[in-house]
Amino acid sequence: MLYKMLSICLFISVCSIANAQDSFNIKGSVLDANTLKPIEGANITGTNLFAISTSTGEFFIKNIKRQTSSITVSHIGYASEIVTITTNKDIKVLLKESSTVLNEVAVTGKSNIKKAKETPMVTHTVTKEFLDKNRENSLMQTLSKIPGVSTINIGSGQSKPVIRGLGFNRVAVVQNGIKHEAQQWGNDHGLEIDQQGIENIQIIKGPASLLFGSDAIAGVVHIQPNKVPLQKSFKGEVNILGESNNDLLGISAGIRARKEKWFYRTRLTYRDYADYKVPTTKINYENYVFELHNNNLRNTAGREANASVSIGYVDNTIKTETLFSNVNAKNGFFANAHGLEVRTSKIDYDSSNRDIDLPYHNVNHFKISNNTTVNTGNHILHFDLGFQNNKREEHSEPIPHGYMPKPPNTKERVFTKNTYSLNARDAFNINNKHNVVLGVNLEHQNNTIGGWGFLIPEYSRFTAGVFGYNQYKINKNWHILAGARYDYGVLKTSAYNDWFRSTVKNEDNTTSQVYLQRAKNKTLDFKNISASFGVSHIKNNTTYKVNLGKSFRMSLANELASDGVNYHMYRFEKGNLDLKPEVAYQLDLDINHTKKQFSLGISPFLNLFENYIYLNPTSNYFETLQIYEYTQSKVFRIGGEFSASTSVIKNLELAASAEYVYSRQTSGLKKDFTLPFSPPLSGLFSASYKIKDFSVFKTPAISADYRITAAQEEIVPPEQTTDGYNVLHMSFTSKLNIFKNNAPVDVRLKLNNVFNTKYYNHTSFYRLIDVPEAGRNISVSLTIPFK
Amino acid sequence: MKVKLKYLFFLSLFVIITSCSSDDNSDKDEEKPTISINYTQGFPQPCVQLVKGETYSFRAQVTDNKALASYSLDLHNNFDHHTHDDQEGICDLEPVKQAVNPFIYMENFTVPENSISYEIAVNLTIPDDIDTGDYHCAYSVTDQTGWQSRTSIDIKIID
Repeated sequence: MLYKMLSICLFISVCSIANAQDSFNIKGSVLDANTLKPIEGANITGTNLFAISTSTGEFFIKNIKRQTSSITVSHIGYASEIVTITTNKDIKVLLKESSTVLNEVAVTGKSNIKKAKETPMVTHTVTKEFLDKNRENSLMQTLSKIPGVSTINIGSGQSKPVIRGLGFNRVAVVQNGIKHEAQQWGNDHGLEIDQQGIENIQIIKGPASLLFGSDAIAGVVHIQPNKVPLQKSFKGEVNILGESNNDLLGISAGIRARKEKWFYRTRLTYRDYADYKVPTTKINYENYVFELHNNNLRNTAGREANASVSIGYVDNTIKTETLFSNVNAKNGFFANAHGLEVRTSKIDYDSSNRDIDLPYHNVNHFKISNNTTVNTGNHILHFDLGFQNNKREEHSEPIPHGYMPKPPNTKERVFTKNTYSLNARDAFNINNKHNVVLGVNLEHQNNTIGGWGFLIPEYSRFTAGVFGYNQYKINKNWHILAGARYDYGVLKTSAYNDWFRSTVKNEDNTTSQVYLQRAKNKTLDFKNISASFGVSHIKNNTTYKVNLGKSFRMSLANELASDGVNYHMYRFEKGNLDLKPEVAYQLDLDINHTKKQFSLGISPFLNLFENYIYLNPTSNYFETLQIYEYTQSKVFRIGGEFSASTSVIKNLELAASAEYVYSRQTSGLKKDFTLPFSPPLSGLFSASYKIKDFSVFKTPAISADYRITAAQEEIVPPEQTTDGYNVLHMSFTSKLNIFKNNAPVDVRLKLNNVFNTKYYNHTSFYRLIDVPEAGRNISVSLTIPFK
Repeated sequence: MKVKLKYLFFLSLFVIITSCSSDDNSDKDEEKPTISINYTQGFPQPCVQLVKGETYSFRAQVTDNKALASYSLDLHNNFDHHTHDDQEGICDLEPVKQAVNPFIYMENFTVPENSISYEIAVNLTIPDDIDTGDYHCAYSVTDQTGWQSRTSIDIKIID
């Protein structure tokens, strides 16, 4: 039984119908031998003939010339087979999987499940169905339903990934094999990735430096390349989204098409939203009171326009795809207290809830990437090439501060970051037992700065890593993964002097006016060895995994060389050139039991940081602003996730999950304190009920998500404790059979925060200024496919 | 192996549960310092008018549960009405104007070690050659742990 589960075979039954004439027809169906589910998109080719299996796995070829003697049946993830056909005989063929193809090329759902079971790394695969069903305003908000994944939100449209309580540069976001390089260290912006059109995401909850190098210290959000479209196909969809809370209107249209070997896909997305509403009329921050007009959190409106196009080629030995994408967004920030500085303004923020006034930012992320896979038989070579240009401009009202006179314009900070990436790896198989992968990652980036506010210096960075790992199959139930990696990096920071003079006291008690130097020319280099070792064991319906990993993160330019006023946070931030790269060890355990009507999973972890880098609020001042200084401390963390689901009762699916992280700094200036932005204990109860079809509604379902989150009493300066909360979300999904010849329209009606509950999210950026989470929201989404 | 894995798993569960409840006895400082001008000698009071050339004693009372560390005093102009104070009552502001030679005072001080209560007292002479008009006076104080409290007062400087 288990063997069947593990080895995916293709079972084809071809019935050929005899025909008295010169030509004949054949009819058949393609099924997965293990699940007996139909396989869509298998290619059936022969001399002058071609067919693709339908969603029911069937195919039909008419008028086959008598001289045709064989057809080839192929599907990605399965080895192709040549089937001899005669005019009057049924043919049955059993196909074996090709394990190397499966490990490296296949991105089909089934093989991913198998791969995920065998690899000792704790991974979570997110499917398109999950994304469509749970889509929220930003990609990470959508993913935060997964236990162990949470977000740091900045208003309604932006969020940053957090895995088991760690975020910023401790989670690597990888898109199509290329590490996404934005200004991810910053507090107040999101991912800059279009969440529409993503089909498959793998989340690694644990150290993954072995595969991804620096930054993958807490986990990875790996947005995987989309499936290659079916041969001779053309498909498209238009998605329309409307939301009541922030008057959002979003439209996204995508098409994908393929001739025989060439394919392309393209997508356009536009979203425009107004200020979002919170269930309160005033906000109390320290002793300040901000009255809110119509519950609008003023100036949090935004818009986003994204475009992408890719072109690809696929045949039996090579698959290559080149993607051009651009994400452009403009987002306003809550006007009265962007960060911690309290301001009044002449701007009439309440005249419209759709306008974006100061302060706001403008972000543009342009990306070219190429993924190429070459299958030479025994070796599978894989190349990822990437170029990214990230430009972020922050605009605020020019206001004199300290010795800085009133700046000439609104351009407070400009960051322009260019990143060039090259990854190459070779996967090969020895004796059908060892799956060996050897690889190299190279990355060069340079970051230039502009504007009147200084926070981080200009820098350039080069990193190189080599790695190798072996997944050894002891037998079909036992797998071992062991690997090591070496990284080298050089970081060059550039000098920076203020553009205005400050008054400085000399030793002889006189004063002088100087352009203060904020950053120096400096070259720093880093080396690191990371490693991972894990075992997976599959026993009947239960999978056990143990994994021990060592990961690292290169210190960032802001951590090393910050030296300036962060006006948004109203503090003075100071870097430290002596900071070592962060090194962390993590022990992961994962037990998953899945039966047809029941599944149970538990994944505890234990994590030690040798030197966690932390922006520590000191008790000292610089020009009357509190100095925050980057320091390092040892950190102990433990926690895990639990999830269970059942579909014992017909049409009703029940699921429950819980997540918890406990963090302690065990050395340094904040010994015994937790880490910033620690997510509290949280549980999610979901119920989904399938209703009977009625009128045009097919497979309609209602679902409810009830989240219970405990209070977060564990804080570190300057945070404040956050009360617990319960919040209910409901949704209705269905397919609509409106168009006869097209696939059904997907409709989704969502009601977020049903009771308009006023609650605070401890890991929201606006939590610091006492802004509650968004109030009730009704959203309607329609996805209309076309051919 | 299965038995061992289960054992490991229950062990970690046990550690999670015990670690949640074992740190109540740690001596962590979770309280911010306080700062107040709401007493007779507290200075400046909201909307007070300071005269150029005069010397004033800026006084505020600060306290902390463990140990105070530093404080700062900041006087800067509010000619552009960029913010308001956090005291009760609203002062009349003069029309918005451009700064020519505004008064800037920014000084940091330390509190004597191990104080949990301290009165800030800074003697400050308002220079003769600066712009008159609306100003802010901002106090801030930190404790040894790094918690901070701030207060801001609307004042005026007149001839």
